[in-house]
Amino acid sequence: MNLTPMEWSAVWISLKTALTAVLISLPFAIAAGYALARIRTRWKALLETIVFLPLVLPPVVTGYLLLIAVGRHGPIGSWLDAWLGWRIAFTWMAAALASAVVSFPLMVRSIRIAFQGVDRRLEMAARNLGASRLDAFFTVSFPLAARGVIAGAVLGFARALSEFGATIMVAGNVENETQTIPLAIYSLVQRPHGVQQSWRLVFLSILLACTALAVSELLEPKRDAHDDA
Amino acid sequence: MTTLKFQCRHSASASFQLDVEFECSSPAAALFGPSGGGKTTILETIAGLRAVDCAHVELNGRVLTDTTQGVFIPLHRRRTGMVFQDHRLFPHLSVEQNLRYGLRRLSGDVKPLDFDRVVSVLDLRPLLRRNPRRISGGERQRTALGRALLSNPELLLLDEPLSALDETLKDRILSYIERVIGEWSIPMLLVSHSQAEIRRLAQWVYVIEEGRLLGEGAPEDALTQPGALGWKDALAPVNVLRIDRIEPAGDLFAGVVGGQRLLLPPEAAMRPAPVYVRFSPSSILLSRHDVQDVSARNHLRGVVRKIIELPEACFLSIDAGQIIWAEVTHQACRDLGVEPGVELVCLIKTHSLKLID
Repeated sequence: MNLTPMEWSAVWISLKTALTAVLISLPFAIAAGYALARIRTRWKALLETIVFLPLVLPPVVTGYLLLIAVGRHGPIGSWLDAWLGWRIAFTWMAAALASAVVSFPLMVRSIRIAFQGVDRRLEMAARNLGASRLDAFFTVSFPLAARGVIAGAVLGFARALSEFGATIMVAGNVENETQTIPLAIYSLVQRPHGVQQSWRLVFLSILLACTALAVSELLEPKRDAHDDA
Repeated sequence: MTTLKFQCRHSASASFQLDVEFECSSPAAALFGPSGGGKTTILETIAGLRAVDCAHVELNGRVLTDTTQGVFIPLHRRRTGMVFQDHRLFPHLSVEQNLRYGLRRLSGDVKPLDFDRVVSVLDLRPLLRRNPRRISGGERQRTALGRALLSNPELLLLDEPLSALDETLKDRILSYIERVIGEWSIPMLLVSHSQAEIRRLAQWVYVIEEGRLLGEGAPEDALTQPGALGWKDALAPVNVLRIDRIEPAGDLFAGVVGGQRLLLPPEAAMRPAPVYVRFSPSSILLSRHDVQDVSARNHLRGVVRKIIELPEACFLSIDAGQIIWAEVTHQACRDLGVEPGVELVCLIKTHSLKLID
């Protein structure tokens, strides 16, 4: 399977943006997943709505909102431009941001399930032994949920790889800069004989998605499979 | 001298209210009563594991919780090490890492206990590298005890630490707890609904039922307040005698109770002292005078201290050096002319004695 330079660049940009997206959203996803697993107050419903909104919103709308926010005249975009000289819109960073936002809910969902599987009473035991809240989180809850957290990150990575709608809105479809695999397939199909030419990227997408799903399935916490008590 | 001041009012549900107040300076105290009476809630309130409506908890002059003044010391600074009913060992850590969890988090001004000493007193050496999921129930409870101990608490809270274990294991863990008390004299508060446990471990008992403190006192007295417990089957008095010395007596072995000889079942010879024997109050025959020609080999002379009359039977508390409870019918009670101060002989068959440990 010989890839053309354009295809190679799309693969590279896809991997780069997806990895960056996961790294950006993972800390927030862990915090949100943990909070949703533990909070029992009325704030939970609000938090749930905010977290899961990108899951049901059309990605194009998410992309549009991001563009408003990080565009040169947007509230965040203008601030970044003025203070750091960063212009995010229509760069690969914008593609990463779009993927991060869209894959966020999926990651939170996996991570929440992982933390729900951690017995809260173990945290209490840790606190009773002298661990602060944060200490108990990092030494007990997090290690016990780690597999689920990694599974969530892999799932998020797969979702980030397949991001199209939000990406094209906020990052455009610039070859060698923001053109990820899905955008490249779209561009190829627009050309004459493009449908025949795009099979390599289509095959690659399926392969990546299957691998990610398998890995995340493998890591998904099994309900006390080794526990004999 | 440790002092614990505890006062709490809490409505857990419409039907259950906890309203208990006590001040405790015994190094080995226990909360006794049927399940669901609020004993565990009291421990959790002391440890800060549970938020209650209204409470004041003070340990050695340090206020841990005071709802009226808005004081709530975070749980990790309370130094109230708890041994939970369900052990709660961390499954991702080895036994040794579990043991060291609290030890590593001691603040600098607290003198740590000697890790190796705790390991050897609790016989944990062979388990150190094992995963807590792959050790037995008794081993887990020993590990949990060691872990709480190594966090060097000012007060050790034991929440029915034996309830998940079977009978033989219970006795072994009990002797481990006794060893711990002997070695480090860390004050403890034990929750239990077993009289045998409390008699062995506690010097002072609070009887808790349906969220109320019904009485307190030394175990022999407090455990036998009939109104309090309703003498429900499981809670009716059990005789537990402590025998410090065993000597051969003919074919058998005998222990000494209040200067009197008590013949023991043959297994007693194998046991290191102290041994505990247990027998039911209904297995005792009473006589005003010593009788020689009966088969029962044990004749313990004692003085009646208390008579508790219940609809079904009379319970007599007889001081024969240690308190023995005897159950007799009202008829027998009347015919023998039993009243406090009367001297009686307790006839006990050697075979009705069960060794604990």
